[in-house]
Amino acid sequence: MRSLLSHRLLLLPTLLILGAFLFGAGNCVYAQSPLDLNGKSADPLAAPVGKPVVLVFVRTDCPISNRYAPLLQKLHSAYSAKANFWLVYPDKHISSQQIRDHLRQFGYTLGALRDPAHVLVKRSSVSITPEAAVFDVHGKLVYHGRIDNWYEDAGRSRPAATTHELQSVLDAVIAGKPAPLLTAPAVGCYISDLE
Amino acid sequence: MNSLTKVRVAGLIALAVFIGPQTKTGSLASAVPDTGTQTITFNRDLAPIVFRTCAPCHHPGEAAPFSLLTYGDVKSHARQIADLTQKRIMPPWLPEPGEFQLQDDLHLTSDEIALFRKWVDDGLPEGASADLPPSPKFNSGWQLGEPDLILRADSSYEIPASGSDVYWNFIFRVPLEQTRWIKAIEIRPGERRLVHHANLIVDRSQSSRRQEKSPGSGFPGMELQIESESFDPDGHFFFWKPGTILAPEPQDMALRLDPGNDLVLNTHLQPSGKPEKIQPSIGIYFTQEPASKFPLLLQLENDRKLDIPAGDKNFLVTDEFKLPEAVSLLAIYPHAHYLGRDLLAQAKLPGGETKTLLHISRWDLNWQAVFTYKQPVSLPAGTIVSMRYRYDNSEDNLANPNSPPQRVRAGNRASDEMAHLWLQVLPQSIPADSQDPSRVLQEAIARHHVENNPDDFEAHYNLAAMLQARGETAQSIEHYRRALSLKPGDATVENALGSAYFAAQDLPSAIQHLSASVKVRPDYFDSQYNLGLAFANAGQFPQAIEHLRVAVALHPRDADAEANLGAAYAANGDTQEAIAHLRRALELNPQHTLARENLAALTRP
Repeated sequence: MRSLLSHRLLLLPTLLILGAFLFGAGNCVYAQSPLDLNGKSADPLAAPVGKPVVLVFVRTDCPISNRYAPLLQKLHSAYSAKANFWLVYPDKHISSQQIRDHLRQFGYTLGALRDPAHVLVKRSSVSITPEAAVFDVHGKLVYHGRIDNWYEDAGRSRPAATTHELQSVLDAVIAGKPAPLLTAPAVGCYISDLE
Repeated sequence: MNSLTKVRVAGLIALAVFIGPQTKTGSLASAVPDTGTQTITFNRDLAPIVFRTCAPCHHPGEAAPFSLLTYGDVKSHARQIADLTQKRIMPPWLPEPGEFQLQDDLHLTSDEIALFRKWVDDGLPEGASADLPPSPKFNSGWQLGEPDLILRADSSYEIPASGSDVYWNFIFRVPLEQTRWIKAIEIRPGERRLVHHANLIVDRSQSSRRQEKSPGSGFPGMELQIESESFDPDGHFFFWKPGTILAPEPQDMALRLDPGNDLVLNTHLQPSGKPEKIQPSIGIYFTQEPASKFPLLLQLENDRKLDIPAGDKNFLVTDEFKLPEAVSLLAIYPHAHYLGRDLLAQAKLPGGETKTLLHISRWDLNWQAVFTYKQPVSLPAGTIVSMRYRYDNSEDNLANPNSPPQRVRAGNRASDEMAHLWLQVLPQSIPADSQDPSRVLQEAIARHHVENNPDDFEAHYNLAAMLQARGETAQSIEHYRRALSLKPGDATVENALGSAYFAAQDLPSAIQHLSASVKVRPDYFDSQYNLGLAFANAGQFPQAIEHLRVAVALHPRDADAEANLGAAYAANGDTQEAIAHLRRALELNPQHTLARENLAALTRP
């Protein structure tokens, strides 16, 4: 099982270099930490609040992550008392306003974060949008992967999902049990294409 | 006194789906370099492929979710593109490469696909700007310029945010005063991201309107059943799928559209994650040139054999048909629902040689299309055209609408199946008075359907309608009776059977069946009109007047109905009313000979 601490130790030097490089190239400086929509640093994993944390990585132009909006909103409503849900936008070219528009269009009431330097991407070990990461009450990553098996591949989907990985992991974690699985392949758009 | 004996017959043509016009031709061949050790660059190696096969859909306003027009666009989806091209999910193109070339072929060669992966491995180099071909230009307006007539759906349809795919039909009531010839119709389905495909079908008898809850509301349904005149010679496909670029109908093959004809747009929609509204438009381009060539649609099918056990991975359905006449095959449209897996269409020539007309080894309903041949395929008389469709009703078929799999049979719902193959053909021989090759073909295929489906209503109905049109009244009555026994009380077949008895001069039987038709559907113009004529011919003029008055109320601009009503009044001794209706008939059609002759006889001093 991965430890979160080692991720942080490994990541910091890389991120410093990335920031410096971008600055040198004349682009905007990307903050190392995730940001809320007001541009302030916001780390959903910083202060354990005694609840599991669910990060769902999405992209405004990824049709598969958009098609999941109603389900994600439903899961958020069902679990909001027992888990903290966040949408995370890893596309550094997307502004807070574009994200607000996206939230409004898709009827989201979840909190949203920008992750331009992919800090949360790396801490969550995710590579796809949409992909979910679940952290337990201690802030330990216990699952990352697909929300369910609706899509087998981009362009190849079932009429409805037959397995519901995110939900079964959440149920276990909320009950204080180990996650029934550590990962399952997500289907959608590659986050690495955004680098 | 002359009396008109024009009998209207509605023929049922079961329409699953129709094909569309030729889409744009992208013939920009991409030069595939030796990829051995050379670095792959976007500008030199990939841009020609992307511009030809991706950009037609991946540009603003089109169906795809993001643009692929620039180096930056492609770079930000590079791994996804490499992945999806390798799996042959993108670009969406179902047919295997074959002997007969198809228009707008999006097939990528293995070498082309390998370029995308190598480009990612090489670090996504952009390359020299001099290597970049010109960006493709797309017309965001009407593709053939301003249409002669633009129609917008009467009301929009709201697609829910989530759930399974939706099939919705919009009826366009075309305001025509006279018959016009159409050289092209552009379908603008509305928000294209939501539309998988759309078929425009001609409804010559407004039969779809009965499915609307209120006029203009549209109606649900994956498959359309349209009634039409028995020998509609116009077998055209008007099909839209993402990336379609409109091409006019071939020379001499304009579509005839008469006053009162409707165009019905059948759409396949996919929820996007948020509630969306769709309100399609169509743009019609007329021509002064009437058609001189009439393609027709031959349908192979074997729905009766569709009874697929749960779990069966390889269920085979076949059909074959021997062409009684030589034809040119213009386009082909295979149709199955979600269990279809491997769809093969072949032609066995009289010499014994077998040609593959189309092969789809990984059927995907979401990317169904009409495929038009670059060059028409010549099929001599005696050729046996065949379909061999394989279905996968196992859990392994992701698209299976049932989990766990269930026994599936034929039907119109998305969870039912279909085994259809439509061929758009042009008869090669010259029509002679006695032997119109279109009729020979249509009657042969109708007989084939009756043989395949001895208990099928539409098969008997269609054959009966063709026999009736050829004057084979006794045989047509036999098949209408079979159809009626399969669908007792059906207003359409009661009308047709009544009109066949009328033609056979069996007036009591005609009146019996036409009366049954108007009882079931009092607003059915054809049967009210025919019943009025039958009564008139039986000398029962008050009853004739009653039904012709209803017909005139239903179609106030029908000169024949007015002329016959006038004639019935005259025969019943009511000269004033007779003159009024005969004059009205002549207002509607100044060339109406019988109205003019009757009016002259009545007003002669």
